[in-house]
Amino acid sequence: MTDHAPVTGRQALARSAFPSMTSGRWGLTAFAVAIAAAIPLVMTNQYYLSVMVTTLILLVLNISWNFVLGVAGVWNFGQLAIYAMGGYGAGIMMLRTSLSPWLALLAGGVVAAIAAMLLAFPTLRLYGIYTSLLTFAFAEVIQYMILNDGSGITGGSFGLPSVPGLFDTLSIDDQNRAYYWTILAIVVTVTLVLAAVKQSELGIALRSIRDAPAYAAARGVNPLRLRVIAFAISGFIAGVAGALYVCAEGSISPSVMGLTPMSVYVTMLVIGGLGTSTGPIIGTILVQIVATVLVTRPGAEFTILGLFLLVVVIFVPDGLAGVVGRYWRRIGVWAAEGENPAADEPPDTGEAVPDGTAAASQAEGSPDPHVA
Amino acid sequence: MSEPMLQVTGLRAGYLDTTVIRDLSLTVTAGEVAVMIGPNGHGKTTLLRAISGLITPAAGQVLLDGQDVTGWPAERIAAMGLVHVPQGDGLFPEMTVEENLMMGAFPAQSWRERRREVARIYERFPIVAGKAPQRARTLSGGERRLVALGRALMRTSRIMLIDEPSLGLAPVAIDAVYEAIAALKQSGATVVLVEENFTHVGGVADAVHILEAGQIVASGPFAELSVDPTVVQTYLGSLS
Amino acid sequence: MVTNFVAIVVNTIILGSIYGLVAIGMTLIYGTLRILDMSQGSMVMVGSFIGWGVLVVAGWSPVLAILAAFAATFMLGVLTQLVSVQPLMKRRNAIDFEMVTFITTFAVAMVLTNVALEVLGPFQRNVTPVISGGVTIHTVNLPYQSLAMAIVSIALMAGLGLFLSRTRWGMAIRAVAQNLDAARLMGVPVGKLYPLTMGLASALAGVAGVFLGGLYFAYPGAGDLPLLEALIVVIFGGLGSLPGTIYAAYAIGLIQATAEQIVGETWSLPILYGVILIVLIVRPYGLLGKPSEARL
Repeated sequence: MTDHAPVTGRQALARSAFPSMTSGRWGLTAFAVAIAAAIPLVMTNQYYLSVMVTTLILLVLNISWNFVLGVAGVWNFGQLAIYAMGGYGAGIMMLRTSLSPWLALLAGGVVAAIAAMLLAFPTLRLYGIYTSLLTFAFAEVIQYMILNDGSGITGGSFGLPSVPGLFDTLSIDDQNRAYYWTILAIVVTVTLVLAAVKQSELGIALRSIRDAPAYAAARGVNPLRLRVIAFAISGFIAGVAGALYVCAEGSISPSVMGLTPMSVYVTMLVIGGLGTSTGPIIGTILVQIVATVLVTRPGAEFTILGLFLLVVVIFVPDGLAGVVGRYWRRIGVWAAEGENPAADEPPDTGEAVPDGTAAASQAEGSPDPHVA
Repeated sequence: MSEPMLQVTGLRAGYLDTTVIRDLSLTVTAGEVAVMIGPNGHGKTTLLRAISGLITPAAGQVLLDGQDVTGWPAERIAAMGLVHVPQGDGLFPEMTVEENLMMGAFPAQSWRERRREVARIYERFPIVAGKAPQRARTLSGGERRLVALGRALMRTSRIMLIDEPSLGLAPVAIDAVYEAIAALKQSGATVVLVEENFTHVGGVADAVHILEAGQIVASGPFAELSVDPTVVQTYLGSLS
Repeated sequence: MVTNFVAIVVNTIILGSIYGLVAIGMTLIYGTLRILDMSQGSMVMVGSFIGWGVLVVAGWSPVLAILAAFAATFMLGVLTQLVSVQPLMKRRNAIDFEMVTFITTFAVAMVLTNVALEVLGPFQRNVTPVISGGVTIHTVNLPYQSLAMAIVSIALMAGLGLFLSRTRWGMAIRAVAQNLDAARLMGVPVGKLYPLTMGLASALAGVAGVFLGGLYFAYPGAGDLPLLEALIVVIFGGLGSLPGTIYAAYAIGLIQATAEQIVGETWSLPILYGVILIVLIVRPYGLLGKPSEARL
């Protein structure tokens, strides 16, 4: 990306935050969002619409999880518990105080962020796989505590009693649509914000800790502070997702946590492609489709997911987003040739190639279309 | 002249992103002790690993006693009679000396055969015999090196690759190690020996090859190279 | 008071033996392949169902059940290695090998569990105990099945120890665990050794499953808890150390048995997790030290 025609201020801002995005790519993204937004207008089947609302909530969760996984390089299996804590936090506050549901979303986010920050501290001392196990133990403890909670605050295994939602004044059908658009907006916002963060100093510092810890330490980067921040950000978003869940469903119970949902979400992330911006989107949607089609036969559903997971990890380690990424680049090049010939070739630095499943050396095709 | 025991042609090998050995060719005849001399980091260890199969060569050919073993996994090449004593001895730290020796004859099927070999080694290296029941990691550097050599002798080999046997050892230990290598040479073994300089190899070397930046820059009989002024200056070691 | 003490001792032995048997396979695998095999739990489940099939459906002898479970899970273990670990071996230096194999073996567990769910249904099946009846000591009930399980596990653990120290292949396994390159240079065929090791470890889990089925039930999710237990034991005891695993198994059995007596059964598991959390915070590599020092 060398010299080109003079750019406007807005273009400059967009370029610095999203270096690999050209106007062609922005166009395509806007188009995709528009299509997604149009769906509730066309889809009349309320069941499928509510499935999509759930999908969007999971998407927010997965995006948050993907951030801490891909950028911070930490396998945080406690994310579900944090998500649940956000939901419970929001729900309990709405039940016990007169907090408005919209503020409760923020409250849930804050509660979750605090929990996540607490979790961040011990993980720093642990080596790789032990982090996974520690965070998993954390999740199990939280789940147990809620299940066996006799005090009535969390409702134990029955979950919270009826919790107010965001759009209780609307009709049921309108509610579905309102949730859909609201959460879609949140998904888009969060994706853009996180993509910008990845390119910011914070994001680069985080990745330097993940990829070359000794070098980062020599540069004076403080791993503890950064990890806590990373956990806080992803925790906040997960908490908001939890709060959205509790509003949309009207309740929450310990069944949102545990090995089964976790294996589904891990599958979503891995199939989609870890650390990329589009990975969670592809993975979540794909797995949800399988889950919805096979909802009556969980055995078959999970068998297929398991096989899918196995095949993807071994043969397509970048995830499906990697495949998409290759076509994305071609579109980018094609669109760029319209405005600045030979200017916008995305540099081949491997951003979104975390230690998770992709090769450390740059695999063919930059998998993340939003970040160079 | 009979077929060479080891013939390496045009070898290119390295690790993930780096090529260490470039276009290297080497011939070692049966019964010869060939010494590779070179500074650290220039590929001596990589060369041995590429020959023994721990690393797969990116290009080139390795012929062991006429058999093309290029790209074979290490265990297969080992079964063909190549014995590689790695840098730093490569013992099994939690196993006893005796167990290490037994592992040396792994391909031999019968327990009795292996015990017989162990007894032979004990005879030859009384120091090793004395340490038989001890865990390998409790031994001193010199003792470990001897055990590694003993272990290498547990099976009949076509060729032995020995990586810096004097590394990190006290002079007394080095003498013991080179005594063993001299005995090896006496028995007609083919050896490729790697060292950083000329200091100790005088008594055993037949041919010498200088390895720099992954290539052989000079070769010749020890008698010649050891008196070549430029070589001696670079790879100074007290030659006695 | 005496009752409590007896209960603690009895339960420690029982729990410790279960945990040990289930965990020892994981340690064996970690020591040689350097992976955490998440399919071990499902091998226990398969063993339970085989126990059910042989003992209940066919009505044959317990010895046959044990042999069948051993053989079946051995083969499944070999298959799992070939499908979910072997293809990644060539890339092992370029990726986070531990994490990736964590996922692939986990995927295998998902498949095994859900095939069982799909084919056999979610219902719990009773499995005939290998030995029925029990004895009561100071009002503490000790089923013979538990005793048999404890004896069998101790025997198997001892057997494994002998296998590793006295046989050619056992020594080869230890060699690979301690120094892979050197083992290869001795001619050890690691391509065969890896699947065999996973087969052996899975077979141990499968046998555990036959007994556990008799104590609890056979159902598709029967592997989840054993997997968790095995993970806890191996972290606690330090990955790759067989003696550490055995100590850890009984130590955890002791903690759990004691917790059960003091706070009752519902809280014992969270207390266990809490202890794990604390141990990991204080000693990040488990009780006995870094995983790089495999002590098979």
